Amino acid sequence: MNAVSEPDQFDVVVIGSGAGGAPLAHSLILAGKSVLILEKGPLIEPQYRDPRGVSGFKRDELFATGPEKIIRVPNVTNTGKAYYSSHVEPDLNDEPHVYREQLGDDRATIEGYTAQVVGGGTQLYGGVSLRFTPLDFRLGSFNAGRTDILHDPDGSVRREARDWPISYDELEPYYARAERLVGINGTHENQAKPFRSGGTYQPPLSTNPISRFVEVGMDALGMPRYRTPLAVITRDHEPSGRRVPADPEQARTGYVNRYGDPLGLKSSTWVSLLAPLRDRPNFALRYNCVVTRLEAQGSRVNKVWYLDPAGSEHAVTGKVVVVACSAIESVRLLMLSGLADSRFAERINPHGLLGAYFLTHCFGGAHATVPGRYDKSVSLDSDWATDFAGTEAFIREHGLWAGAAIYNNTSDHALPLSLGRTHGNQDLDTVWNGFASDLRLTGEGLLRYLDGTFGRSLSVSFMANQVPLRENRVELHSSVTDKWGRPVAYIVKDWHAHDRYLMDVLARTSADILRYGGDGIGHHPVEGFGGVYNSDNGRARIANHILGGARFGTDPTDSVLDVHCRAWNFDNLYVTDGAFMPTAGGANPTLTIQANSFRVGDHLAERL
Amino acid sequence: MLPALQFSDDYYLNYCAKYLARRNTEARHTYGCACETSDRRARISECWRFPIVDTHHDLAEPTRSTTNAVSFIYDARGCSVSTVAVTGTFASLHQRIPLQPVRFLGRETGYLATTVLVPKKQVHIYQFLVDDTPTLDPINIQRATLDNGRIWSRFFTDGCAVPLMLERWEFQLLGPLTAHILPFRTQTGELFLKQYYDRLDRHAIGSQYRFDQAVGVVNFIDKVIAREERHHYGDYRVALSLIRDVLRQRHPGCEPADAPREAFVELYEQLGSGDVPGWDYSRYHEPRYFLQLLRRHTYTGAFSHPRNGGNVLAAGWAFLADRYRDADGNTLFDWERALESPLGTSPDYRG
Repeated sequence: MNAVSEPDQFDVVVIGSGAGGAPLAHSLILAGKSVLILEKGPLIEPQYRDPRGVSGFKRDELFATGPEKIIRVPNVTNTGKAYYSSHVEPDLNDEPHVYREQLGDDRATIEGYTAQVVGGGTQLYGGVSLRFTPLDFRLGSFNAGRTDILHDPDGSVRREARDWPISYDELEPYYARAERLVGINGTHENQAKPFRSGGTYQPPLSTNPISRFVEVGMDALGMPRYRTPLAVITRDHEPSGRRVPADPEQARTGYVNRYGDPLGLKSSTWVSLLAPLRDRPNFALRYNCVVTRLEAQGSRVNKVWYLDPAGSEHAVTGKVVVVACSAIESVRLLMLSGLADSRFAERINPHGLLGAYFLTHCFGGAHATVPGRYDKSVSLDSDWATDFAGTEAFIREHGLWAGAAIYNNTSDHALPLSLGRTHGNQDLDTVWNGFASDLRLTGEGLLRYLDGTFGRSLSVSFMANQVPLRENRVELHSSVTDKWGRPVAYIVKDWHAHDRYLMDVLARTSADILRYGGDGIGHHPVEGFGGVYNSDNGRARIANHILGGARFGTDPTDSVLDVHCRAWNFDNLYVTDGAFMPTAGGANPTLTIQANSFRVGDHLAERL
Repeated sequence: MLPALQFSDDYYLNYCAKYLARRNTEARHTYGCACETSDRRARISECWRFPIVDTHHDLAEPTRSTTNAVSFIYDARGCSVSTVAVTGTFASLHQRIPLQPVRFLGRETGYLATTVLVPKKQVHIYQFLVDDTPTLDPINIQRATLDNGRIWSRFFTDGCAVPLMLERWEFQLLGPLTAHILPFRTQTGELFLKQYYDRLDRHAIGSQYRFDQAVGVVNFIDKVIAREERHHYGDYRVALSLIRDVLRQRHPGCEPADAPREAFVELYEQLGSGDVPGWDYSRYHEPRYFLQLLRRHTYTGAFSHPRNGGNVLAAGWAFLADRYRDADGNTLFDWERALESPLGTSPDYRG
């Protein structure tokens, strides 16, 4: 053995290298603090950083949704069923998420995982990087006393809506910092969010011609539109030292959403925030290491226990410990720590709020076949977005409690396999079922299907706040364990009546864009529209937007974390992934998680 | 002597941590190795990934990629093993290539590994020499029985077209079955393939490709049931046997694969309905399930990256690129633009 003495004491130990952990780590490393990041997944480098000159991310559709695997998890009702996952998503037989379809019907699901890899979910996501609107931060006060909220028979919206303990204005400088340091392209004009710190977007690339229908539809309906902010660099990015190809348009490929980027143009937290600091002596990164529990003495977490790539256990200490391994897994880690020490459990969860108010988004949309045909394999994830449905006027007109962002998807169905495997299905648990069962798609029938759909499918999506409910929660499952013998996360959630109504309204609005986009007069046929609650596994659907479960606030009896995302009864324990959110926001959450992480990083830099 | 490469420890650990490290004792992975619950592989995730067959980029020939980097891993955690070497047909069988300890933070992990470069489109057998004792790879699901009855571990590299799992008659029977599903038996499909294959320089391509209407899909199936979806090998063996029996009953005068096209159309419809006269349901209960499996594999094989064994010479993609064009004749599926040379034309992506 040639053991080298590696440090085991740090200023900050960060668990997770994605949107919640990497930004604050970036700030603290630059501030000279010693930082250790522990990451469960592997480090997959882009080509320009890999000593072999190739990346472990491939432009191969079987990397995004790989071969069939079979669930063999005991004590779930879908054991024996097939599932498909990306190469950086977990093996469900080793580490399933289990959700309750109904009492006595627990099912394993791939929903609710982002990615287990350095960079976390930002490696696979489509990169949509929207700010929340100012209203998203004050839904409690906005809805207080309202009598025009529809489909809220028990008054849960008014009872459960919460203001964030920080305002949009307080977060705005951090949005700007995140946009600059992460590397985002887009346009500001027509966004319903003030850019007081100035604009830092890189210019967007060309739109895919199919998006012209969305332009027409949004314009016809008077919806101010803007180029969807995307975490893909289009120019050389000075903060991270990344360079774009001679032709920046090369970034547009169908291998975007659910693919890691072998060129490193997609702004994962690894290539944008961590890799540039990799050689700093005060930055340590240990990947392929799974944290098993936190150990505390009184109000201080004094040990972080983890298993190394061979399964050997180690402990490290940090003056500050930050948990940021995606909301479900963060809640699970805190609960597992409480399972090992009842005093830890009492401190982290004195009011039974840990795991409660778990959130995802109300999402859905509409899709249509457009006239003509377009090369969707030359695209990014989205071209146009609108905040039309995020305004107070829209919200009040429809009796809603909150608004939404609406944008088109450009890269969906861009490649032959993605077209086939999502035929009749849109969710991760049922891919391929539609194609395999639709026996009409054979020979001439398959040719007609390809003629009718390939390069002709256009969809518009909405992303909206879900009503926070205490009974929507993350627990530890009573009998299902992971490959280390630890209880897995158990997700119990359902949609509120107002969620269903809200999704119906927004699905119709999305459909209208396509109706008007197709012919300018609103008569173009739309093939389908609706909210996610309509799908077969609607209770499981999470869209990889994993939020809540450890919300922050100003009242320790109503929240798990304080305004700085510190656990109320701990001196040095912070949670900075999406778990901190008391409401989900009317947009994709990653940029807000990143901005908040920068905010907490500044707080910690002052504190340490 | 074939030189061994030693990649970084992290490269090997990126696979070991997820797929090998664990404490569970439940056999949750039997489907992947089609093995008994007592077999260690029944507790290993995705054991088909070993040995690791990865892309290799040759700086001297950046526009060509003719080899794979094949990494062998031996898990010696908890064992008292002094030396492990690998020997196989990818080098001289007299050559022992030692596996080196893989370290994490300077400490030996118990994993041993080495890497060699192996040309694409090949299949090889190998074994470990564990303290000089010949040993099958305890992780890899692929094994081959030699003419002398000895069993060796096996792997194949990208684009391999050597039959591995299916017998000749099974290949022949799957040809019309898969061709019926795909669009290449249509008038436009047939015309395209004829012109596409005629344009190719067959000498440069090599002789192992089968120029058929299923664009290599049967080869894709042969490879996917050898490795990633080994659990479906039994489906193919039994269902194809029953299909052969049914066709023999209906067309006694010819080989099943040579039955008229209408016979396969009829059979396809019956498989889809689940009602196949002459089918032995006691041997395979759900013919519709087999058809659904075949449909997924067929479509995937036709349109996935050619490294996976189908979509031979990118004919599936080329068909779409040729069929879908704008008014100026420009393709509306420019698949080459994003992919590595020499398959594609991307100046940046290396595969």
